[in-house]
Order: sequence, then structure tokens, then C-alpha cells
Amino acid sequence: MRLPRFSLPQFSPTFYGLGLVLVVLAIIAPALPILSLRFLTNLLIYTALAYSINLITGLTGYVSFGHVVFMGAGGYALGYGASAFNLPPLAGVALGGAAGLVLALGIGIVTLRFRGVYFAISSLVTALAALQIVLVTPVLNDGRGIGLDVEKVGYPARSWFYTIWLIVSAAVVVTYFATHGRIGYGIRAIKSDEDAARALGIDATRLKLYVFMLSGLFAGASGAVFVWSTFGVYPTVVFDLTFSLFMLAMIIVGGMGTNVGPFLGAVIVYVSYWYALTVPSLLGLAFAAIGVIVILVALLIPEGIVGTMRRHFPGLRRILE
Amino acid sequence: MSVRVVAADVHKSFGGVHAVRGLSLDLEEGRVVGLIGPNGSGKTTFLGVLSGALKPTSGTVTIDGRRIDRLSADKVVRRGIARTHQIPRPFPEMTVRENVGVAAMFGGQHRDPQDALKEANRVLSLVGLEASADRSAGVLTAQERKRLEFARAIATRAKVLLLDEIFAGLSPDELRAAIGLFQKLQQELGFGALIVEHVMRAVFALSDRVVVIDEGRKIAEGTPLDVVRDSAVIEAYLGVDEAHAPP
Amino acid sequence: MVDAGSVVLQDLVYGILEGCVFAVVAHGLNLIWGVTKVVNVAHGEFIMLGAYGAYFLSAWFGFNPLLSAPIDALIGLGAGVLFYFGFLHRELRGKETVTLQTEMVTLVATFGLALFIVNLATSIFSVNPVGIPWNPGVVRAGPVSLPVGSLEVAAISVAVIAATHVFLTRTYLGSAIRAYSQDIAAAQLVGINPTFVAAVATALGLSAAMLGGALLTVWLPTGINPLMGQTFAPICFVIVVLGGPGKMWGSLVGGLVLGVIINVVPAFAEPSVGASLALAIAFLVLIPVLLFAPEGIVR
Repeated sequence: MRLPRFSLPQFSPTFYGLGLVLVVLAIIAPALPILSLRFLTNLLIYTALAYSINLITGLTGYVSFGHVVFMGAGGYALGYGASAFNLPPLAGVALGGAAGLVLALGIGIVTLRFRGVYFAISSLVTALAALQIVLVTPVLNDGRGIGLDVEKVGYPARSWFYTIWLIVSAAVVVTYFATHGRIGYGIRAIKSDEDAARALGIDATRLKLYVFMLSGLFAGASGAVFVWSTFGVYPTVVFDLTFSLFMLAMIIVGGMGTNVGPFLGAVIVYVSYWYALTVPSLLGLAFAAIGVIVILVALLIPEGIVGTMRRHFPGLRRILE
Repeated sequence: MSVRVVAADVHKSFGGVHAVRGLSLDLEEGRVVGLIGPNGSGKTTFLGVLSGALKPTSGTVTIDGRRIDRLSADKVVRRGIARTHQIPRPFPEMTVRENVGVAAMFGGQHRDPQDALKEANRVLSLVGLEASADRSAGVLTAQERKRLEFARAIATRAKVLLLDEIFAGLSPDELRAAIGLFQKLQQELGFGALIVEHVMRAVFALSDRVVVIDEGRKIAEGTPLDVVRDSAVIEAYLGVDEAHAPP
Repeated sequence: MVDAGSVVLQDLVYGILEGCVFAVVAHGLNLIWGVTKVVNVAHGEFIMLGAYGAYFLSAWFGFNPLLSAPIDALIGLGAGVLFYFGFLHRELRGKETVTLQTEMVTLVATFGLALFIVNLATSIFSVNPVGIPWNPGVVRAGPVSLPVGSLEVAAISVAVIAATHVFLTRTYLGSAIRAYSQDIAAAQLVGINPTFVAAVATALGLSAAMLGGALLTVWLPTGINPLMGQTFAPICFVIVVLGGPGKMWGSLVGGLVLGVIINVVPAFAEPSVGASLALAIAFLVLIPVLLFAPEGIVR
């Protein structure tokens, strides 16, 4: 039996660039004031969510409107684990990731069979149904949510930061492998023409399910960190479709299916949002503005910043992915 | 031991439309079967059932005795049947080489992308597309796309190919060259094929056997010469009077 | 003394009556989806706007929903034209089939529109639910009571659906729309202007949404709020899929089914749980329908 050939993959400049940014962040974090750390933590939560939806919507073109459901599942996993079993937060985050993964498996097995539009609607419907179900589930405290014991949690700004940092780093790596090599080709073929891809032997069902499960994992883990850092899980917050809107906004602005697009999109969208929050009169309209951004980018530059740059400057393609 | 694909009493209906009615057909590695019939007779639908793109309403398709009619298209490819599409479906954002490489990576035996791309080069030179290897598949001409479809099917190393009108729209010179290329490749690579065609020159030149269908049913089967003289065939194509006219 | 059977019967009747109104709003979505092949995720928000339209017409001029409905319908026509040219025209113009890119772009863009409208509405209207105080009385038919308002809006809903059916089958423009929805290239060959047809269909679709929103207020004595679109949009999607995208009468069937589910299920569950459970079931009905649907929907 021949052993499979193993060679260390050579990473692209984009990957090293992202790695550098992440390493720098990790190094300077201990020196930062708590508020800045808090800001970075939130930014990274949104970044992880962006990478999460990028794995399914960006890579395969299947629009997951209800993606927030995985975030909610992860959040409740941590919340319930903490309140019912005294689960330490890090274990809660791991559990959150697992919850997201398993939920994605369950949902994906059914809904990934459907064509694009029907998948999107099923996804929306699932998230809305999940909210209704959680609202009346006594074990999860019905609509009241589960608060975390503030004294027990404390304010571990560094733990929050490094946990989400780890999640984002993992997401960057996973995204890299999903866009390169054999898997990358398979997924690109699926996005391009799923039936033709199958006609060439690509097991589209399995590939789609894998990326969907991974996207559920990252959304769930991020949801858990979100709940940990906001001291509680509340259904109307953690199943809010606005998160789905944010996720779509970030990848559509940054560039769907790219490696750096989610990061770029997260920075642009989250920082704009955060800034809008500091201006009192803009508060209610901040979300509306994000809606407008999504509309304009979707209609006018659907490839986002990275996608458009790659198209107009072919020379950049090697270094900007 | 050559691979045998057997379609037995295949029916395919779409709602009220009964496109394929009880069609049975054998395919063998190394042999070419021509499938001809008037427009709308169910040829492409039948091909879809064989390739796994469609599930038959009833009837079975087997490879060496094992049923494949309920399998998804990608599983059928891995069992050894590959198809081309009547209107080619290349991946426009990938290069020609990558298009073929994907087929080799997933349908064929070259899992490693580097190996697959090398294999793609080999296949492209077999079909004469090597000069376009780096071009984006989206800018190919219609003829080049047909050849790319064919190249992709070959790259999967399938034992039996289902080819949907690959000789359509060619000038007489191009047709002669294409027929020659097909014969050469078929002898070199040894695949079996079902060629769904309207171009009779190709059917005659290449088929060991011809099957004629009309309105979803087989109306004749035999050597090309037998079939073209069959009155049922003439009637289906040209009308009743012609069928009874002196030859 | 009320027995369980007559409670269920009453709920069934409510379900049928409410289902008719569901049907007319879903029918609007069906029209746009069936003709342009584009799914308007923001459909629920137009229903919400229709409801608020009726509310303000009631608060400022004392109009009851029956009067507001045609006004909303007119506004909806205008909104539909704007929506078509703003969102759909660029993507659909010159194309004979809807590509995956168009599908995705319009899905995401209309999602953005939906949340834009919701958040704008929340800022302007505030989240507090409102209602229209209109009560034309109740009629009794044996063991069941039939609120007159509900009867009237149900009747109007069915009339609108029937009128649309007549329009589509008996008029030139209607046939043009049907031709366009079947084969754009062929329709153009016989002289049909695709832009005009698609715009008309979209206008009619959003008009139905807003009209239906006005009619729905009869069922929402305290429930008109900016987020209501997020409840009704999935209901519309489920109805359209149940009835079959593009099949006009299917909306009525689907609407009745969902109306009955939403009204009858709570009778079998505890009061605090009933409404949410009914909604969850209504939404999730979509999944089995898609699973057993013809090959066009499932790969």
C-alpha cells in the first residue's frame, strides 16, 4: 500500500499577513487598557462570526439567513452549562462550539439538499422557529434567559480576549484549508455549478455539510464567548436576526469567499457600528444604516472589496486572497 | 473483464410527461452505442437517468449487476460512468487546465492537485486543447467548450462515457477531425460510450450498435445499416409516406 | 358550558377566516416570485407598512381597515414600481433566466432592505404595539361566532385573489405576465415588454402585501408592531412553498392550512406555550414540504 504523499503546504502571503496581525494582537494585548481590550474582544467576536458565515455563504453561495441560530445555540450551551452544572467558562465555550457543530449537522443534513433560495428560506424559518421554541422551554428559563453569576465571572478581560483570539485564529486556518488544495477546488466547483460538479464526481453533499458544520462550530463558540462577556444569555438578543444581518454585511463588504475579506469586513462594519453607537442621535439608525450598506454593496459591488480588487488588479491575486 | 452497464425497463415521468417509457439498453466497456431519435424523444432524459442526475420512475440501471439508479450523480461517476452535457457547463472562473484537473481530482485517481493538474495537461494534449490550458474556461468558443466537456469526462477515467451531442454544430472538416480524434482516443483509452446524436455521419462511423428511440420507446436496434433501413425508423424521422416509398 | 369540541370548532373557523387573509399577503409574494423568480425577503415588512398605514388612516381620519385597504393597495402599487426599479431591474434586465448570482444578490439585498425598514420603523413608530379599535360586531352561526370584521376581510381577501386570477387569465396584460413567467425569450419574441410586465407583477405583488397588511389589522387588535413582518414573512414563504410557487390558487390552500395550524394548535397546548408553539410548527412545516417536493426544489 502506498503511503499518501505528505508535504507541508506553502502558505500564501495573505495567510502570513493575517497571521502577523493576529500575532501582534496577541503580543500587545496584555499591555492594553481594559476598555481597548474590551473593544478588541468585541471586534474579534464579530470577526469570528464573519469567518463563520463566510465558510458557508461565502464559499458555497448558500445564503444562511438564520445563521444567528448557531450563535444562540452556543450562547445557551454556555449559559445552561454554567447555571445547571457550574461549568467553567472555557468548557462552556467548547460546549458552545460543539452545540453549534451538532446543530449545523442536524439542520444541514436536511436543508442543504435544497436549492439556494429554498435553503435560504429554510434557514430563516429555522432561526425564527428556534426563537419561538426557546421562548417556551422551561429548562432554558423560557423567555427570561439565563444570567451568569457576575461575581463568579468577574471581569476577565484577558481571558475573553485570548479565547476569542484562539477561535479567530482557528477560523483563519480552517478557511485557508477550505479554499486551497483539493477541498478548495471542490468547493469552488460547487459554488460555480453544483450539478456540473457532481457530474465530475464531487460529493457535493458531504463537502457542503463539512463546511456548514465548521461554520456552526465557530458561530457557536463565538456565541458562547459573547454570552460569557455580556454576563448572560437572553433569547431575543442571541437569536436576533440583526446578527445575521451583520454577518452578511461583513462578508459582503469584505469579499465573500476570500481569506481576508471577513477580517476586513468585520473591521469596517464593526468599527462603523461602534462609532455610530457613540453618537446618541444615530443609535436607532445604526442598524438601518447597516441595512442600507448591505443593499448597496449587494447590488453594486457584490464581490466586496477584496473580490473587486482581485478582479481589477490581476497582479494582486497572488498576494490578496 | 470489461464493465457492463445495463438499463432495464427504465421509465421516467415528470408529472404528466412520460419522457422515457420502458427503455432497455446495454453498454459495454470498449463498445460504442449510438442513440438516435427525433427531437424530444427522451434521449437526454434517458442519459440523465443513466448518469444519476435523475432518478427513474421505475426500472433499474446496474453496473456489473450492482444497482446504481438510486445513487447520486457523483457516486455514479465514482462507479465508472461519466457524462457530458448537451450545452457544455464549464466552470467559468477556473482555467481550462483546472477544469480538467477537478475532474481528475474527484472522479479520477489523481487526488493530489499537483498530480491532477499534470494529468490535466496530458488529457488536454490528447484532445488538442493544450494551447488553451491557461485560459479561463469562460472565454472558450462553443466548439472548445464541447471539447473541454469531453476532456473532463475522459479525465475521470470512467469506463463508460455518456456523450450528449458532442458532434453537433461542426463543419464537415471539423467533423472529420472530431470523428478521427474520437476513434483514436477510444482505441487508446478503451472506454465504452453511448453517443446521443443527430449527426448521422458520426453515428455511422463510430457505433458498433445503434438504438433508435421515439416518444420514449425503443423502436429499433441493430447495426447502423440495419437501423437506417428499418421502416419504423424512417417513419419516425420522415413520416409515414417515406417509410413505404421504394428505397 | 363550553366543551372542548366547540372550542376547537371555533378555532377552526378562526383559522379559516384568518387563513384567507394570510392567503392574500402570500399571494402577493407568490406573484413576484412566480413571475420574476426573485424572492423578496422584505415582503413581511411591506405587510407591516400596510398595517401601520391602516393604523394611521384610522387614527387621523377614522378610516376602518376596509377603507384603508384600497388606499394601501394604491400605495403598494407605487412602492412596487419603486422596488422593481430599485432592486430588480438591474439584475433582471436583458437576462433570460435568473442566474445564481442574481438569486444570491437579490436575496441578500432584500434581506438588507427588510432590516432597514424594520429598524427605521422601530425608530419612527417605537416598539410599542398598537391596534385599531374597530368592532363591527359578531354574528352567530350555531355553536360558532363569526366576527363581522373577520368575515369581511376574509371575503375581500378571497375576492382579491379571484380578481387576480381573472386578470391573469382573461386579460391581455395578464396573459403577457403569464407568458413572461414561463419563458422570457419567447414572450419577447411575441412583442411583450419584459420590463413592463415584471414591473406590473411586482407592483401588484406589493400592492397585495400592503392591502393584506391593512386587512390583517382586524386580527391584530393589539399586535401592530414594527417586528410583525418577521412573523408574517416566514408564514408567507411557507404558504407559497406549500401551494407551489407560481400557482395562484395554491396561496389560498396554503393560507388556509397555516391559518388553521396557528389557530387550532394553541387549543391543545398550555396557554403560555400555545402561541409560540403554533408559530414554530407553522414555520417548520416548510421543511417536510420541501423534502417531499418535486425534483425542481430538491437536488
